[in-house]
Amino acid sequence: MPEQLQSAPRTDGVTGFGAIVVRVAAQVLETMFFEEAVATACEHAWLPTAVTVHVSFEGSHRGEFLLSVAPDTARSIAAGFLGLDPEELTGTQAAEVILELANILCGALMSTLWPESALSLDTPELASAEHAFLGSMHCCFTLPDGMVAVSIGVSDGDGAA
Amino acid sequence: MPISVMIVDDSAVMRGFIRRVLTLAGFEVSECLEASNGEEALTGLEGHSVDVILTDINMPKMNGEELLRRLEMDARLRSVPTLVISTDATKARILKMLSLGAQGYITKPFSPEALREELERVLGEKYA
Repeated sequence: MPEQLQSAPRTDGVTGFGAIVVRVAAQVLETMFFEEAVATACEHAWLPTAVTVHVSFEGSHRGEFLLSVAPDTARSIAAGFLGLDPEELTGTQAAEVILELANILCGALMSTLWPESALSLDTPELASAEHAFLGSMHCCFTLPDGMVAVSIGVSDGDGAA
Repeated sequence: MPISVMIVDDSAVMRGFIRRVLTLAGFEVSECLEASNGEEALTGLEGHSVDVILTDINMPKMNGEELLRRLEMDARLRSVPTLVISTDATKARILKMLSLGAQGYITKPFSPEALREELERVLGEKYA
């Protein structure tokens, strides 16, 4: 892991990076996952039990994206995505939907933060919640059934400032 | 008018979502074939004819770019409209896929309405 990505987390509230993440995350969750996300002050007691997904990206910028979703929220998001009752879902289905959410959210954020940049995203992987703060940019959201946290750490890349 | 589709995506839940969104968008789907990569899609299309192919780009074994190349080389399949569904929103990528033969391109996230609009454009008004 690049050294720069191990720095302490920073919450930007609703300005700058925070505003972009809030807008993009809300759009992704509402459009494809039928959930309303509201930016909120960070509270991380739930993170040790979260479903956490890690995505590496490289190209014009290089770094890592992390998505953490509270377990009940993960089931609710997966149910909305697949059109099933949460009780019908298997753990595997819920995890696969959160992996897909991470892929879509990371891609949408990259397109918004660095439009027209040549970036490739690695396959999303389930990760340990202990890595949830690796990014220097971080935002938390509340959904009807719980919390979501998004972190991005940028180290360098072909054209990164 | 019912449509038959081939959905190509390495994510099973994404294929399920697209299948669901087709219905939410108002399409009557008469047949829905699925494949997890381009290779499987070509195999699945050997004995079948579909009205439209919906494909992801980044997939193992055979990605969406290679699938489009293979479709263009096939006299029977080259006339089947192909719609690319991807997280990549860059102009370079969109133009590349269109140049390889895709008739449409939609970026994730997308709504049922957006998929309907793009599919209607690709398929023509007779399927509306």
